[in-house]
Amino acid sequence: MKAPTDILLPMTGRFRLRPIRVAEFSFLIFLLVVMGLPLLFLLSGSFNLAAPGKPAVYGFGNWVRAFTDSGTLSALWMSFLLSVVRLIPAMILSVLFAWLIARTDMPGGKFIESICWVAYFVPDFPLVLAWILLLDPNFGFLNTIGKNLPFVDGALFNPYSFWGIVWVHTSTGGIWFKVMLLVPVFRRLGATLEEAARVAGANTTTMLWRITLPVLAPMILAVSVLSFIRGLQSFNTELLLGTPAGLYVYSTKIYDFLHREPRAYGEATALGSVFLFVLAILLFFYWKFLSGNKKFTVVTGQGYSTLRVKLGKWRYVAFASCLLYVIVMMLLPLAFLVLGSFMRRYGFFNIAAPFTVNHWYNMLTDPIFLVALKNSLIIASVTAVGGIMLYSGLAYLLVSRRTKFAPLLESLCWIPHVLPGILLSLSVLWLFLATPLRFFLYGTVWGIAFALILADSPVTTQAFKAGLLQLGGDLEESARVSGAGWLYTYRRILLPLLAPIAAAVGLMNFGSALTSISTPVLLYSHESRPLAILLLEYSFTGELERAAALGLLITLIIGTMMLIGRKFGLKLSGND
Amino acid sequence: MAQVVLEFRAVVKRFQSVNAVDGVSFSLRAGEIFTLLGPSGCGKTTTLRLVAGLEEPDDGEILINNVAVAAPGLGLFVAPEKRRLGMVFQSYAIWPHLSVFENVAFPLRVRKESNESVRQRVLQALEVVGLGGFAERGATQLSGGQQQRVALARALVYEPAILLLDEPLSNLDAKLREQMRVEIRALQKKLGLTVLYVTHDQAEAMTLSDRIAVVNRGRFEQIGAPEEVYEKPATPFVAEFLGRTVSFEGKIAKNADGCWIEFADGAGRCALAGATSDALTDGAMARVFTRPEDVEIFTSDGHAANQLAGIIEQVAYLGDRFEYHVKAAGVSLVLLAPKKQRFNTGDVIHLALDSARLNVRPI
Repeated sequence: MKAPTDILLPMTGRFRLRPIRVAEFSFLIFLLVVMGLPLLFLLSGSFNLAAPGKPAVYGFGNWVRAFTDSGTLSALWMSFLLSVVRLIPAMILSVLFAWLIARTDMPGGKFIESICWVAYFVPDFPLVLAWILLLDPNFGFLNTIGKNLPFVDGALFNPYSFWGIVWVHTSTGGIWFKVMLLVPVFRRLGATLEEAARVAGANTTTMLWRITLPVLAPMILAVSVLSFIRGLQSFNTELLLGTPAGLYVYSTKIYDFLHREPRAYGEATALGSVFLFVLAILLFFYWKFLSGNKKFTVVTGQGYSTLRVKLGKWRYVAFASCLLYVIVMMLLPLAFLVLGSFMRRYGFFNIAAPFTVNHWYNMLTDPIFLVALKNSLIIASVTAVGGIMLYSGLAYLLVSRRTKFAPLLESLCWIPHVLPGILLSLSVLWLFLATPLRFFLYGTVWGIAFALILADSPVTTQAFKAGLLQLGGDLEESARVSGAGWLYTYRRILLPLLAPIAAAVGLMNFGSALTSISTPVLLYSHESRPLAILLLEYSFTGELERAAALGLLITLIIGTMMLIGRKFGLKLSGND
Repeated sequence: MAQVVLEFRAVVKRFQSVNAVDGVSFSLRAGEIFTLLGPSGCGKTTTLRLVAGLEEPDDGEILINNVAVAAPGLGLFVAPEKRRLGMVFQSYAIWPHLSVFENVAFPLRVRKESNESVRQRVLQALEVVGLGGFAERGATQLSGGQQQRVALARALVYEPAILLLDEPLSNLDAKLREQMRVEIRALQKKLGLTVLYVTHDQAEAMTLSDRIAVVNRGRFEQIGAPEEVYEKPATPFVAEFLGRTVSFEGKIAKNADGCWIEFADGAGRCALAGATSDALTDGAMARVFTRPEDVEIFTSDGHAANQLAGIIEQVAYLGDRFEYHVKAAGVSLVLLAPKKQRFNTGDVIHLALDSARLNVRPI
């Protein structure tokens, strides 16, 4: 029997150029450059007293100013305080929601859950605008009504305040996402744990306080800490509501430093570095807590619980309360956004012909709007496609377990998860300014897309990783043994199987690219201005009606995309 | 001797610092079913993956049809798709987005066969595995057993040099597993396949294999026909892994007539067959090993030699037979006996050993 002729003998030496190694090193270098280098530039920039582009002069001046300026320190403190204070109602409400949905016989639980899903995708900036329309001391609808009440003198509500920011956050990011995270956790809680408590003689309240909540406590705490860290990154709400009242958080302070003339790069960078330092400490403890806590294993107990707490007649009260929350926090502001966009002058209901479509008409025919729309579409498409290509490759590499640098690659791609948009923007700005990249990325749509792709790295990579892990290596390996080369396998097996995930993360990233403000805010120029930044400018110049129209348009685009995505059965969240 | 299809020469595969495959050498002959049998984590699947080219060895050489496909010393490694192998994965690895037909056709499509030839060969392969008429089904509409057949058809469709089976039956229920075991054996004989089979199931290995390699900690403890491995285990591990063993300690007694072992507490004695007794010296302590099914229980000491006294400690009724917990020569052992043999707790009995089925080791 002769040897099969299709076995080729590559007569090479000990050293072979393996594609997997080439890919590994390319990714490593790329990620080090785009994730690591900007941070390094940010840190070194904070010691640089000269403006970017000028010969560097090193010193501690920026840091001294950053730490002695009471405004800077109070901005950091305010970030911290806001993040903690608004976490408390948000966590209580979302745990309650999740428990009602997953663990009780409340009617319409599925309905409330899908509303949370939809609400999560409503961009926050238009909602903030809507709350201004409702609560502004001068023209806010609720204040106008309030003035007619007896014993009320002046404005009832003021959104431009600490509590105003807390309130609006409860409507925007607030609880929707946390409910989506917590409902599966509550569902997955091993049924036997609660059943054992029942058999041991515990009533509902005892079981809840002694078993359910303590068992879930580590998970709830993890969600809280994560939300707290994410809360520190908040920018939009604070910018619109805090700045008019002179209330700064560190992210709006950085923005403020960079919108002075001349731009205070040094202070902005020093403040960014201080915050990075704080963040690093927080993350260290978060990580310590996660890795040291063995209780987490309990949560993944097997067997879905069929045991549901009977609320009796209170179940209708519970449902009504959930519904009321959704109506007040989501539907009411959205309704006023619609109203605002169609009013000749918002707040003036008594003038002749108060309603008009002029704001819509003017906006849609405005050349600036059309350019911004084109920019946004380019940015969002490039971000979506680029992210899919880059991070599917990275995820493949990480899952294949053939890279020695997996931990390093993994941590690099997690950086943007904790890096606030404004800091990412700032560090990418430094990268552009300090390298030849400035000639073709600075101030262009490509530069903005570049930063947004970086921002998408954690979620996108994790989604592909999860997909690949779920597929398992066997499907790919069996194709290889069947005689297919890597490329054929990728085209015929991996690509079709990963397509739903690619479509889902593509849609998500397209949407977030469309609505992101803090990431492009330091990187755009007049030629590359995207829609979200245009929205920001409208609201700063007081064109609230036009801003409402644009905000609504963006919300509509996102909503349509997500509904199409859902129609095609895409898994856009973890609990589907 | 049949043609050697696959050869391992001192192959080593390391994961971190652990040798998952530790200097393994063996050869696979055309037309045989060769089984790698061992506990999970022993390196049997890694060995199979080394053959497939899904892992690269760190040392040694792997040859398929006398051509090296992996030789790290020479910097040589042939990719899995160039090895002309068929493989059935434990998970079956049926591609969910392709129909049954396209799943089986995949290896042929890769090799750019004409549509007519693909059609003919796929339908034939499906017929062979008993899935005629299932071609247009979606792959996910199949039961576990049917998926397993699709995986088999896909591996067979282009007549591979070696068929690699990685615990193919472990996800099936007991009844189907027995049926597939018989079918695979029949198919292998009919098509003259050369099969490398991985399993942790001893019964599966015994019924299917021409030869078995018992694998432990990355090493082959013993290679041999099923009877040989079971009856003459080369190491304690092999004996323990392939079914249960019982052992008794005693002192060697030797004289011109032969060689015996005298059990502790004067419980009895047993003659030892010639070959094993040569290495033993008179008066040395030794241990005999045997299979529990080769030990018989008797009420009286009717047989003069090869027995030892014991006592019934516990009786369990298993339905089709009895399970007796017996204490003899200081050793507790569990023996099964047919229903017609009925003993009660506390009964004094005798155990008869079969000296042809004893393994002796000095201690």
